[in-house]
Amino acid sequence: MAEAFNFDPDKNYDEATMEQQRNIEKEISANQALVSFQIDFDTVSADYSKEDETYLGKIQDLKIKYKCVRRTRGDGNCFYRAFGFAYLEQLLTNQVDYARFKEVATRSKDELVSLGFPQFTIEDFHDTFMDVVEKVGTPCTTKELHETFNDQGISDYLVVYLRLLVSGYLQKKADFYQNFIEGGRSVKEFCNQEVEPMGKESDHLQVMALTSALGVAVRVVYMDRGESGQCNHHDFPEESSPSVYLLYRPGHYDILYS
Amino acid sequence: MANIAIQRIQREFKEVVKSEEVAKCSIKVELLNDSYTELKGEIAGPPDTPYEGGTFILEIKIPETYPFNPPKVKFLTRIWHPNISSVTGAICLDILKDQWAAAMTLRTVLLSLQALLSAAEPDDPQDAVVARQYKEANDIFKKTASHWTNKYAGGPNCDKDYEDKVTQLQSMGFDEHKARVSLSTCNWNVERATENLLS
Repeated sequence: MAEAFNFDPDKNYDEATMEQQRNIEKEISANQALVSFQIDFDTVSADYSKEDETYLGKIQDLKIKYKCVRRTRGDGNCFYRAFGFAYLEQLLTNQVDYARFKEVATRSKDELVSLGFPQFTIEDFHDTFMDVVEKVGTPCTTKELHETFNDQGISDYLVVYLRLLVSGYLQKKADFYQNFIEGGRSVKEFCNQEVEPMGKESDHLQVMALTSALGVAVRVVYMDRGESGQCNHHDFPEESSPSVYLLYRPGHYDILYS
Repeated sequence: MANIAIQRIQREFKEVVKSEEVAKCSIKVELLNDSYTELKGEIAGPPDTPYEGGTFILEIKIPETYPFNPPKVKFLTRIWHPNISSVTGAICLDILKDQWAAAMTLRTVLLSLQALLSAAEPDDPQDAVVARQYKEANDIFKKTASHWTNKYAGGPNCDKDYEDKVTQLQSMGFDEHKARVSLSTCNWNVERATENLLS
């Protein structure tokens, strides 16, 4: 029989919960790179048991359409990290889009401040974000960018800034996005609870907002338990030609290469 | 501690020190060691609340993973409030837990705590006893909170009636603070408070 729970008023249960959470995070970080090297689909197949025909079939389908995958760490920030790396990696070889993006990124700080975000911290994150954007513009290799994204401090700063961009965009277009928010919350509450805190996973709404805020088209390829032998996909915004490809498995985003 | 956390705290420290709230003496932060891991915060009890006139000291610990995880904050000054433990000083506030965001700062935390003193959230309590009193006997709650502010935080409002009751229990041999806690818990009913202390 389970031991009866005795509430101890001197014990801080919230802290105990957070401590446990941190230990889980530590364990994950010891085993998983923030952004992995490119791996082939046979390696991805090894994640699944031989009996798992649905998933193995879908991996075969991916193998026909895509070259390889980069995994991202399952820490709740995977969408932002996958998007950030995949897009900046594109920009290493696309000077026209780089110039456009750099301008959007530079301007974004003042927009966030005008929306009421505190200048003090916004500047901090924006500076780091722009350092990395600058770096992408000077001759920079994929290897260097990969190292930057695996430096936890810088990498998390980038994630924070992308989260702020999503929050800012959702609030700017609050009239539109309010219709998609469940649970009777305002857009601002949704941002405070689901967007700005680190480790909060992303859903359609965050994907829509980030792609619109930065003007970058993304294709998300879904690998789920659906019976059709193929992976469905969705482009954000619809009918665009994507420059970033992400693989979505329930609860997690990785990067795909075509 | 990671470099990022230190740099960030150094910058924030300057921000709080320069802020207009410091000029108005409503918040304050001090370093307790050279490594920026332990700080002492101070907030003034907001006007038109039972905490008015009191000064509340906070323990602030900065985790290695700051600012991606929130600082650990608790009250060192004893306080009677639904969202703060009257025993440990532990705080129930969303931004110190799952709604912390890296864009927040020590200044945000101190101001949010000050706001919490103005607007308690009894439906999400840290101290169930205080929360029940807040909802069921709000007048007694206000007087009790004001009494605690006077006794522990240097507040100006001395309640003669409550003082006498504490002295009465003390004269029976009970510890002053324990007597106050018991009386506060029992809505200042001396008989019940005494039974409570004896049980």
